[in-house]
Amino acid sequence: MSDDAPALSNVTYDELEVGSVLGTVTEPVDAELAGSLVGTIGAPGEAEVAPPAVFPVLFLKALRRTLGGIPNGGVLAKYELDFGAPLKTGGEVEIEVSIKDKYVRRERPYVVVQFAIDADGERALTGLKTIMWPTGPGER
Amino acid sequence: MPADEFPSVAETVTQETINDYADLSGDYNPIHVDEAAGAASEFGGTIAHGPIALQTFFRSLTEWLGTTAPPAGTTVKVVFRAPTRPGDTIHCELREREGSEITTECVNQDGTVVIGAQASIP
Repeated sequence: MSDDAPALSNVTYDELEVGSVLGTVTEPVDAELAGSLVGTIGAPGEAEVAPPAVFPVLFLKALRRTLGGIPNGGVLAKYELDFGAPLKTGGEVEIEVSIKDKYVRRERPYVVVQFAIDADGERALTGLKTIMWPTGPGER
Repeated sequence: MPADEFPSVAETVTQETINDYADLSGDYNPIHVDEAAGAASEFGGTIAHGPIALQTFFRSLTEWLGTTAPPAGTTVKVVFRAPTRPGDTIHCELREREGSEITTECVNQDGTVVIGAQASIP
């Protein structure tokens, strides 16, 4: 890992404010990372353009850095991905992370995190990631 | 648009796959990498990061399209319906196609749907 953020976060559901921007970070997208996500995960491959599996990795890296760790006990529920310009490898992306929504359904708390990923001034992807949050309203 | 059949891509997930993905992404959530924590959770054991199971969809989609990445304007909606565990083998099937919209499901070796994914391709 290139970052020094804590591995896990215990930020509660109540502490997250809808509409707030958690931060903007820069991450490299090198050929080695992209190549390892073309075929079987982790197997060496080659990619001049980032395969789609690069984006969930970028989500996790950016969330860890802007939230102060990955939500401890959180479970991935949904993705919505809007693909923009193909992302060439060998450069960097800028990722803005914000809280798009949060809600309770069937007694389970969910938080929707938005990732806006730009490369060379162009939108590469807008992603929404819904996480079943480890704490609900009023819980710590 | 490509053929009606989705390419046959299957992946078997192991705890090593999960640990490798944790190293790749920095996601060391205990439900993925800590067997004791997984056993104590509602899942009764460790579960794979969602994107590991989703890889069969991404691979099938890009092979089907004949590209490395989906074209600009593509939208994908994914629902994770069931956990993927070490030892599971996942593959993805095309369920419905209407114009540029496709509906797919990724299933494990028992036929359990672990992911539902819809894509709209320009």
